Amino acid sequence: MSGPAVFDPQTLPADDNVNAYTFCVDLHGQWFLQKGKMIAYYGRISFDGVGHGRLDRLVAGSFHSPLHAADWVVAEGEGKMLLADRAFDVNSYDLEDGNLTVRSGNLLAFQPGLSLKQSVIPGFLTLIGTGKFVAASNGPVIFAEPPIRVDPQALVGWADCPSPCHHYDHQYLRGVLGGVRALTGLGGASGEEHQFEFTGAGQVLLQSTEQLMAERDTGSVPGQPGVPGGPPAPQQGGPQSRFGL
Amino acid sequence: MLAVDLAGDGVKAKNGSMVAYDGRIGFKKLTGGGDGLRGMVTRRLTGEQMEVMEVKGHGTCWFADRATEINLVDLRGETLYVEADNLLCTDSGLRTGTTFTGLRGASQGNGLFTTTVEGIGRAAILSDGQAVVLRVSPRYPLQVDPGAYVAHTGKLKQTLQSGVNFRTVLGEGSGEAFQIRFEGEGLVYVQPSERNTVGGNV
Repeated sequence: MSGPAVFDPQTLPADDNVNAYTFCVDLHGQWFLQKGKMIAYYGRISFDGVGHGRLDRLVAGSFHSPLHAADWVVAEGEGKMLLADRAFDVNSYDLEDGNLTVRSGNLLAFQPGLSLKQSVIPGFLTLIGTGKFVAASNGPVIFAEPPIRVDPQALVGWADCPSPCHHYDHQYLRGVLGGVRALTGLGGASGEEHQFEFTGAGQVLLQSTEQLMAERDTGSVPGQPGVPGGPPAPQQGGPQSRFGL
Repeated sequence: MLAVDLAGDGVKAKNGSMVAYDGRIGFKKLTGGGDGLRGMVTRRLTGEQMEVMEVKGHGTCWFADRATEINLVDLRGETLYVEADNLLCTDSGLRTGTTFTGLRGASQGNGLFTTTVEGIGRAAILSDGQAVVLRVSPRYPLQVDPGAYVAHTGKLKQTLQSGVNFRTVLGEGSGEAFQIRFEGEGLVYVQPSERNTVGGNV
């Protein structure tokens, strides 16, 4: 048996995966990384927390929610840099003048050509622009075309403009008994009564497990009525209205 | 999972790492890491404890530990430096010992000492996710996050490099405040995951 492949700066791939769990960035300039995802590098690279000094302008261009800029690091310099995240699968994606929304915990790194915004959906981040980004997933990622209904735990993100909404399976939830069943789990709940539904043109990214990756705080949203995740709007009815009772 | 074919010879393996075997194989706990009395005393003193068993007999034995990835390292007289936690199994012909690592160990939270494996044979090391092997040459020094470092071989000089500045104190640190810099000639094994380290949160 031959030994494992040995890499040096010449043989490391440029902007590609080294193995399923490690991504190599050929750095000439700047990249944004989430804190603590760099595992090794060759060359001269400096790491700075964003949100101060000469990087301030960059932040203004790429981060539109300074509230969570503290979780990000700017890698600057020349060299090859290896990124990985808790031995999860990592993949790179190219965006060309497009947009992609991804679960906050899954995003690892992106080029400054992209700008990062908080999604209106709590816990998700949206990338807009042109460039490459790296995201982690628990198991390989599957691309699916809408219309599709997906399990909330398997959802990694979506590109372009499908419209995501909640979907409740009325077969289970119809009637008083169904409501009781869904709330308590008594009488057998399949665990699949609730899905996310996507319609419209675009792509939906799914991971091949229902094990979630740890969420990362995306920063709080301005506390005003009408903002999802903000203070609750005055309730119209009780929780029964959810089930059509 | 690692399968070892034994034909009368033996291997040293991490205690409790056997998951299955066929044939006639005996397991014997080796006290104090299996490096003899002197080694036992050193390990006690340094805290680089290693629970080792000797596996001997005829047949095939399978080893695994917490579903982590296993990497085989062929040694031809070189020295492998590895954390005791990451060492799964060695040929019985290989000598194991402890060595002082200095500040690097302290930043990793693994203590000031590390385990060495010397001789001719094969060792199996554990990593969280498939390890990446990186070559270090005089032209290309390598910087590694302390939490992702697993092992190294060859003649390497390691220094702890820190990027701590006043911003770290202000809580605006980069999360990459500490790196181990490897210089010289050798191979470094890096895992695609970071242990929780003292330095990692700065």
